Amino acid sequence: MAKDMPQGVGTGAASVAPARPRASGWARILGWAGQRARLIAPLVTLLGLVVFFSLTTDSFFTTRNLWNGILSQYAVVAVAAAGTTFVLLCAEIDLSIAAVSLLIGVLSAYFWVTPVAGIDFGTWGVLIGLIAAALIGYMNGYFAAYIRIPSFMMTLAMSTIALGLAVWVTQGKPIFKVPDLLRTLGGTGSKIGPVPVPVIVAAVVLLVADIVLSYTKFGRYVYMTGGNCEAAEMSGVNTRQVVALCLMISGLTAGMAGMLNVGKLNGANPQPSNELLIFTIASVVLGGTSLFGGEGGIKNTLIGVLIFGCLRNGLNQVEGISIYIKQAVEGFFLVGALLLNVVALRLERIRTQAE
Amino acid sequence: MKRDDTVPYPSPVTHGSAPSTQQPRPVEPLLALRGVTKRFGGATALDGVDFELMPGEIHGLLGENGAGKSTLMKILSGFQAPDEGEMTLRGAPICFSSPAEAKAHGIGMVYQELSTIGALSVAENVFLGDQPTTRGGIINWKQMNAAAEAQLRELGVRVDVTRRLGALPLGLQQMVEIARIVFSGAEVVILDEPTSALSAPEAERLFASMRELRARGKSLIFISHFLEDVLAVADRVTILKNARRVATMPAAGLTKQRLIEMMIGRDASALAATYQEGVELPPPVEAPPVLEIEGLSIPGAVRGASLTVRAGEIVGLFGFLGSGMTEIARALFGQVQPQAGVIRLNGRPVQVHSSTQAKRLGIAYLSENRRATLFPRQEIYKNVTLAHLDHLVPPLFRRGSELGIAEQMVKRTGVRPPNPHLLAGYLSGGNQQKVVLGRWLTRQPKLLILNEPTRGMDVGAKREVLDLIKGLKAEGVAVLLLSAEPETVMTEADRILVMSKGRVTKEFASERVSKDLLMAHA
Repeated sequence: MAKDMPQGVGTGAASVAPARPRASGWARILGWAGQRARLIAPLVTLLGLVVFFSLTTDSFFTTRNLWNGILSQYAVVAVAAAGTTFVLLCAEIDLSIAAVSLLIGVLSAYFWVTPVAGIDFGTWGVLIGLIAAALIGYMNGYFAAYIRIPSFMMTLAMSTIALGLAVWVTQGKPIFKVPDLLRTLGGTGSKIGPVPVPVIVAAVVLLVADIVLSYTKFGRYVYMTGGNCEAAEMSGVNTRQVVALCLMISGLTAGMAGMLNVGKLNGANPQPSNELLIFTIASVVLGGTSLFGGEGGIKNTLIGVLIFGCLRNGLNQVEGISIYIKQAVEGFFLVGALLLNVVALRLERIRTQAE
Repeated sequence: MKRDDTVPYPSPVTHGSAPSTQQPRPVEPLLALRGVTKRFGGATALDGVDFELMPGEIHGLLGENGAGKSTLMKILSGFQAPDEGEMTLRGAPICFSSPAEAKAHGIGMVYQELSTIGALSVAENVFLGDQPTTRGGIINWKQMNAAAEAQLRELGVRVDVTRRLGALPLGLQQMVEIARIVFSGAEVVILDEPTSALSAPEAERLFASMRELRARGKSLIFISHFLEDVLAVADRVTILKNARRVATMPAAGLTKQRLIEMMIGRDASALAATYQEGVELPPPVEAPPVLEIEGLSIPGAVRGASLTVRAGEIVGLFGFLGSGMTEIARALFGQVQPQAGVIRLNGRPVQVHSSTQAKRLGIAYLSENRRATLFPRQEIYKNVTLAHLDHLVPPLFRRGSELGIAEQMVKRTGVRPPNPHLLAGYLSGGNQQKVVLGRWLTRQPKLLILNEPTRGMDVGAKREVLDLIKGLKAEGVAVLLLSAEPETVMTEADRILVMSKGRVTKEFASERVSKDLLMAHA
């Protein structure tokens, strides 16, 4: 409030709480931070992790590890997380991310190696894959928003469908040939200067998503729908359409993530794995975007992906942790980071109520 | 507490007879309040109120909105404790610290919003939370169904108790709730507006059951805006006004007119003056109609309602809960689909399917449900510009132009503090309402529908909001103003339509209206 409530307002503010007495420097800083806890809490978590791993390992804080070990490795997660942010902001969930990304990755490779109906699509298969991703996402959205199947169930069912289709298309066999375009975009080796190309792709996707969320009518509708769906509806917002489009965007980014992954691995393997789903949702939530909608954003997601990346990458390098216990430790760290966020946000809420 | 316990006073009224006209009861009251006072901050909700409930009587509790009925009800049912005064149950002083404690002492509440569960069977609802079980802890269905059926039959209700409750008409659901409360041992049953959503035959059936309960020695408190309903079934009535008790008297011989006089009159001498008071409605507005509704019907809510609102005219719609006003507003905003009838906007018939379409047609709606209007965790400026985003330089809008509009609107509506960056949740109720009103003003609506726009506001904020509405009228906006407060429609409207149970019962235009006239038709 210190910044938001300039002096001189007090006279006209009879109906709100009177302006608080001037607080000391520290209290004011804390107050300012409390206002922005949703962004600052995860940022502090991120800094804490970076400092911790820099001190405990020699290999963590090196240019090579930061570019290749973290940024490049988690670019795929960042792309998927950009779309998932839309879904969580309007208080829905998308559990089909991993399966959709798998299917779309497989499809783009399949079109590259196999002519379909006598047409050799080549690189155009990538475009077809993107269209398919958006369509699958919109189907999720349509059933969730208009037919009112809870998105939780709808996307879970879609996850099974997408997995099944991926196995069917490839007859269960991996495809080892991948469009050159995807190897350029997603390959770990492809770089512009020191910057890996996947990182650039992720940055572009995050930037576009941030602009859409912050500066367009649609973006504002997403926040308002998540913040209070009934009020948004009663203000003339087509809330169903908003929800459907958010799930479509999530499908699209999941598809893009799948393609980057195919480029990165230089092959498409219809092996079911829910890693991407867990990584993505965990990253978005770690970043401070509310699971209940209306609060958070792409900046949070960016921080969340970095927290998640540092955590996994750093733990790998800490000596003395058995490889068998690593995953459990990772889980404990996750709970710790989430706790920190929840506590910080609760503080913010208490402040809001107190004022 | 068994139902067959001897009643301390022989059942004073036989089943089916007219409300009792016998002499004052020689017995002690079952439940009594003496000099009960309750304050909320600076406002006094109850001021030294006495109230006696006799065993085996139906006691009507009447008063305008804000007279203190709900506070009295909350004290009786243990939701709130009185600041002063004492409460006695069967002559012993008592103080409830929670609704559960009141329930344990045999005081049960039937709310407007039923607390039954539609997905369960009738029998399960009668026994909700207290199902008879076999020794193994498994529900004893046979015993439960038989007992539920017997229980309902005693109330004069014959229904297949294995049916899903949600499939039954509302009137029957209400009976099931009453049966549950009586069955769990209630000696006192408080009914809050039980008839507002019932059809006439359903209400009759409710009254029969109430008389049946009375014959069994139960005491009932009947709170309602529908004075005829109270007169039809109550033995005595207590009238509250401005936090005080005006009178407690036998219902027999009372008329609706007399009740209204007591509810709104200050005292006997001022009563005549109140009668004369009231407002002269202005001469009719000569302008083309913006909204015309003809024969609008919405299942279960509105039956053939017609009305017209002209440009620059404020039409007041007065009625209580269940009158159907809100449904008309919701139909105009695309939230419910009417079964029959025509809606014309500027002379053209329209069918409104969604709020988005309504917005495009130039209709703005301020809901009575504050939770459905405000985004408390978003900044004021986002709250204000939400309906205006189409016009903010698509596809990207600049923060500057958005803030400019928000600032202008905040100034125009007098939001305090006038800082568009504050979260809307920080504001007081009146200022929140100004923000929401500002949201619609950004669109220059043709038709503005306001549902209880000033409810719960302090006098100053109320005045400001009403002045804003007057300003819109001067700009030629057609305003439909819905309220259950007679003062609101009387002071603001050019014409007043009264609605009751889904119908428009009376129209007042360019004549003198007073509260009692309005309430007589509601």
